[in-house]
Amino acid sequence: MKGRDLQSEPNGDSAPLFGSWPKAYCVALGIFAFEIVLFYAFTVVFS
Amino acid sequence: MNRLDYVVLIATILAIPLYGLWRTRGRKTLGYYIKGDESIRWATIGLSVLATQAGPITFLSMPGQAYESGIGFVQNYFGQPFALITVCAVFVPIFQRLKVYTAYEYLGQRFDQKTRLLGAFLFLIQRGLAAGITIYAPAIILSALLGWRLNLTIWLAGGLVVAYTAFGGTKIVSITQRYQILIIFVGMALAFIIAVHRLPAGLSFGRALTVAGGMGKLQAVDFSLDPDRRYTFWSGIFGGFFLALSYFGADQSQVQRYLAGGSLTASRFGLLFNAVVKVPMQFLILLLGAMVFLFYQFEEPPIYFNRPAYDRAIALGHGAELNELQAEFDDVFARKRDLLNSSGVNSASRQEILQLDAKARELRDRAKAVLERAGASPKSKDSDYVFITFVLQHLPHGVVGLLIAVILCATMSATAATLNALGSTSAVDFYRPLIRPNAPDHHYVVATELLTIAWGLVAIGVASYASLVENLIETGNILGSIFYGSILGLFLVAFFLRSVRGSAVFFAALLAQCLVLILFWTLSISYLWYNLIGCAAVLVFSLALQRTIFAKSSLA
Repeated sequence: MKGRDLQSEPNGDSAPLFGSWPKAYCVALGIFAFEIVLFYAFTVVFS
Repeated sequence: MNRLDYVVLIATILAIPLYGLWRTRGRKTLGYYIKGDESIRWATIGLSVLATQAGPITFLSMPGQAYESGIGFVQNYFGQPFALITVCAVFVPIFQRLKVYTAYEYLGQRFDQKTRLLGAFLFLIQRGLAAGITIYAPAIILSALLGWRLNLTIWLAGGLVVAYTAFGGTKIVSITQRYQILIIFVGMALAFIIAVHRLPAGLSFGRALTVAGGMGKLQAVDFSLDPDRRYTFWSGIFGGFFLALSYFGADQSQVQRYLAGGSLTASRFGLLFNAVVKVPMQFLILLLGAMVFLFYQFEEPPIYFNRPAYDRAIALGHGAELNELQAEFDDVFARKRDLLNSSGVNSASRQEILQLDAKARELRDRAKAVLERAGASPKSKDSDYVFITFVLQHLPHGVVGLLIAVILCATMSATAATLNALGSTSAVDFYRPLIRPNAPDHHYVVATELLTIAWGLVAIGVASYASLVENLIETGNILGSIFYGSILGLFLVAFFLRSVRGSAVFFAALLAQCLVLILFWTLSISYLWYNLIGCAAVLVFSLALQRTIFAKSSLA
């Protein structure tokens, strides 16, 4: 197995709870973006 | 430390490895020894990845970092979630599909044997030295403040890790890291609660944050584009991404953590857990440092936290000079505390408080200069002693023992992951293909155990001579930055430059590594740039070599 085949999803592999891995990545990035918003709000309120 | 502290400390650091040894008893196959078994779940993998990265420096130095410069350092981690998702999407499926034991095995399959050995060799040099620094850094601080013998501290911390890592392999590393990181969370949470509780009675937590913010310690996010600013959102996103991609994608000590368990889903969830948890964790550790800073606005701090070094300077005849500075420091502290007690940080008092704070910092710098002149300058920054001084002087007995256990747990978890990776890489990438290609499986398990012990002895040896190194904490980061770029470059060429073959990338990586070493010895740029330079050089050189000197091989 070579090239792009190796980076494709193995058969039957999906992200539990999220349906697909790209969706899971988007959720993780969404949580991270929310964290940044909280940190920024923290900075504005207390600095 | 009293007897209760020692009981808590010894029970904590011994119970976890003993439990791990019990869980991993019995005969092992090479696959079990290096990758664990199917029972390792995503939560254990996630905590194990977290514990591998969060070494003792994280818990000793980070609060001190916030004490000195505020919590803006958290931005350095902003690139990490993007890097972890890239590793999930690109690196993990390939490693899992090919069922490799080490990341460098993939280089052998994609290119050739010499490229695999080069990647593995660069990893072994870098991590072998860094493991010694990981053991030495907390040992020098703990031995200085607690009066423990340095070599005994190094051998006790190092020897225990070597013993259980060599015996249990990857599974024991994952199991022990899970409990070690939980102990670390509990210890740091207790320190946070007590630091807030020890603030003056009339100062609520919200008011305390306002005071710390007013003194410039709580700027977590800075969107400035000014290149002179040390920590900004943008430098964190771009610089942090590159460093984290090298670390999580090409460093076997991390690759081995997320390949444990053997399931792609478990590996990915373990990494995604880190993508959402790591930044808040660092934020809270830095916020703890800000609370310690605030505590020392009302309780006088030492002018120099590394007391043994300070006392050495006095013994060397610099007492009068230091006493003069101390008297001035006492006066500045009293004026600042009175101002904070009477009016807090408001528009009228803020300027004066900041001036007094700057004056206190200047006095600390002058004290440090006296120590340097006296030849009593320590091998690490004074800010590294801030948190541990707070712990030893202001936390209740029992909690002190737990916090010392936190530092040692962090040392053991980071070192165990490193030794496990060093032993596995030496056995799988060097011993098996080059020395004994067709031996029974059990032979390789024993070889990996012995190589893990050998690397443990190397790490302890490096730790024993690390006093020759000027700045310990920087040294670990510099070592990583010098070698990571070339190693990451090998993997990026493998994934994305499909026309490039083994010989081109092999010589490109050698040239890139030479270039980085020459630049390191001749330039004085920030070491973080060497990651980018090394990786970019491998990509450019490999394309150039493939299209010129090795053009024939791409047609073959």
